[in-house]
Amino acid sequence: MHISFLLHNAYSLGGTIRSTFNLAGELARRHDVEIVSVFRHHDEPTLPAPEGVRLRHLVDLRKSSPGYEGDHPQHHRPAKVFPRGDGRHSQYSRLTDARIGDHLRTVEADVVVGTRPGLNVHIARETRPGVVRVGQEHLTLPGHSYRLRSEIAHSYPLLDAITTVTRADAAAYRELRLADVRIDAVPNGVPSPRVEPASGDGKLVVAAGRLTPVKRYDLLVKAFAQVVAVRPDWKLRIYGSGDAFGNERETLRNLIDDLGLYNHVFLMGLAGDLDSEWVKGSLAAVTSSHESFGMTIVEAMRCGLPVVSTDCPQGPREIIDDGVDGRLVETGNADAVAAALLELIQDDGLRHRMAKAALESSERFDPARIAERHEAIFDELHAQGGGSRSAGALRGSLHRARSTALDGAYALRHKAASVLRKGQTA
Amino acid sequence: MTTTAESPDTGSASAAPRADCIADSAGGVTFDITGAGEPGAALVLRRRGTNPGPDVLLPLTPAAEGLLRAVLPSTVDLAEGVWDAHLRFGEGAEQRLEPGTRDLRALVDREPGPDADRVAVRIPYPGRSGELVVRSWLRRPHAETGPIGFGAGGVTVHGRLYGVELGPGATVEARLRGGGGRVHRVPATADGDGFAFTLPYAPLAEGLDAKEWLWDLWLLTGNGRPAVRLARILDDVPLKQAIFVYPGSTVGAGVVRPYYTGANDLSVRVDAIRG
Repeated sequence: MHISFLLHNAYSLGGTIRSTFNLAGELARRHDVEIVSVFRHHDEPTLPAPEGVRLRHLVDLRKSSPGYEGDHPQHHRPAKVFPRGDGRHSQYSRLTDARIGDHLRTVEADVVVGTRPGLNVHIARETRPGVVRVGQEHLTLPGHSYRLRSEIAHSYPLLDAITTVTRADAAAYRELRLADVRIDAVPNGVPSPRVEPASGDGKLVVAAGRLTPVKRYDLLVKAFAQVVAVRPDWKLRIYGSGDAFGNERETLRNLIDDLGLYNHVFLMGLAGDLDSEWVKGSLAAVTSSHESFGMTIVEAMRCGLPVVSTDCPQGPREIIDDGVDGRLVETGNADAVAAALLELIQDDGLRHRMAKAALESSERFDPARIAERHEAIFDELHAQGGGSRSAGALRGSLHRARSTALDGAYALRHKAASVLRKGQTA
Repeated sequence: MTTTAESPDTGSASAAPRADCIADSAGGVTFDITGAGEPGAALVLRRRGTNPGPDVLLPLTPAAEGLLRAVLPSTVDLAEGVWDAHLRFGEGAEQRLEPGTRDLRALVDREPGPDADRVAVRIPYPGRSGELVVRSWLRRPHAETGPIGFGAGGVTVHGRLYGVELGPGATVEARLRGGGGRVHRVPATADGDGFAFTLPYAPLAEGLDAKEWLWDLWLLTGNGRPAVRLARILDDVPLKQAIFVYPGSTVGAGVVRPYYTGANDLSVRVDAIRG
């Protein structure tokens, strides 16, 4: 098959880019695979590009490039096709509308795969007939704004399939009752580390992620104060830095000082090679209030660490088997986090047994196995005759007519709803 | 409007050969190099600075298909400093190396025997532009700082000694950098098989007449041996300054706090309060 991924920006950093690169690289062993990046702002991708995968872009934003298009007049007009509800809308424009539309109307592929809602909407509406249309959800449906959820409900019926990273999110999508759209949960793949797994004897707890409020590292630091009171020989390292959604570094620094934990808790900054850091520890901790998937949980398990995680929506409980290969504790409860950490710190035998179980159970996230599951979905849809959504021109045009009528209705309804919901967060 | 700029296949974007580094607890480092276009002749370590001294050449041996191995044994002295790693081919042609995985788990909570008269530390890490760098410390004797505590207007530091013992009348001396010989001394006491001292802040901030004062801490063991610079080097963290951070206390016109220098030596800084 010829498989074409559509990505916001392949030249940047992030979980969606990493998992798309992993998947594309695996599929490229057997298929013709390309990644089309809407934007390009660097000469080379920041993450190592997958072998055997063609990479190209639609809009060049490299200031140093002769093809720079950041000053294109159409790039200063707000996008109409790319939905307003997608958080990236301000980066899209009439120029991206046109480029993405042209790309999808002429794409030489059997399967087109979108990697964020805004791009999935483009794919649903504009992909030429005969091509299988797959929309990936890397976050969660309930986490999107009301407006974006409306746009999804409106456009996704023209997709052939939606894949989510958790079963819980697949269930949320099924509740939208998108007629005849296949919905599957396929978790993200995580490669086995290039270093030996942890020995499980280091007196170190490791956490890693962006230093943003949703990660609740304040909760982890407070919990660790209770750990230190019992086991002052153990330490905690937190890897990561802030991003556009916030930087908790100063807040955490002050908390560490206030609790007198400067000999026990360390903010390590970004790690270039996180696997080498995981294996220094014997336990990992995740105290988020929300995890769409829980990539770091899988990474730590693949390095041989049992993970103590909050049982937050949606990913952790689909990764950790509580009491077998890790622990799930009540979200937002520092005492519960501390108790679970101490349970595994005080009992070396239990910790080692869970570490072994974590190593074994996390093999199910191997990128080769994950790619096979995506491949099976693409295969089946392709065999059904290349895009049942779009095979019937009649169906497409019917939907389009209905869409046009509905567009107005939706706009009105949205207006009314947003008045009703003022002050609420979706 | 159907222009989609084609870019070449970026499958293997990086041209530099990579070295996976594995450290052992004695201070040795193994470099496993892949991606070298041609068989390299040696791994060259070259010290940065105005007086670099001779290069250290480590022979390369094929360890597997496409894999070259170089070993820096703990017994080879590597002068203290920052060493750039190069791959040397025949006829003196050289190429920079990039770090691959850095398996430094053996360095976490390193504890050389207390009898070690020489402490050798080598930590491979990525430099500013992602190049492979080896930071080296070579200290004999060595005073390793550990937990730091605060109270009663000063700081208390616990540490361990290697290659020297605490004699009677041992002191810790704070030397004001650029201070024309201005020092403060406090007694250092035995603490298990290590040492401890409490340094009151008030004398360090008294008469502050600059934006900042930096006091470097030295241990005088009191048995006629040279002063030993206090440092924290027995772990896997090459740059301590931003990670081992301690709270400050307002004393007079300044804020006083201990900090690690760029070489991981322990000092105390006094920052004038603005306004």
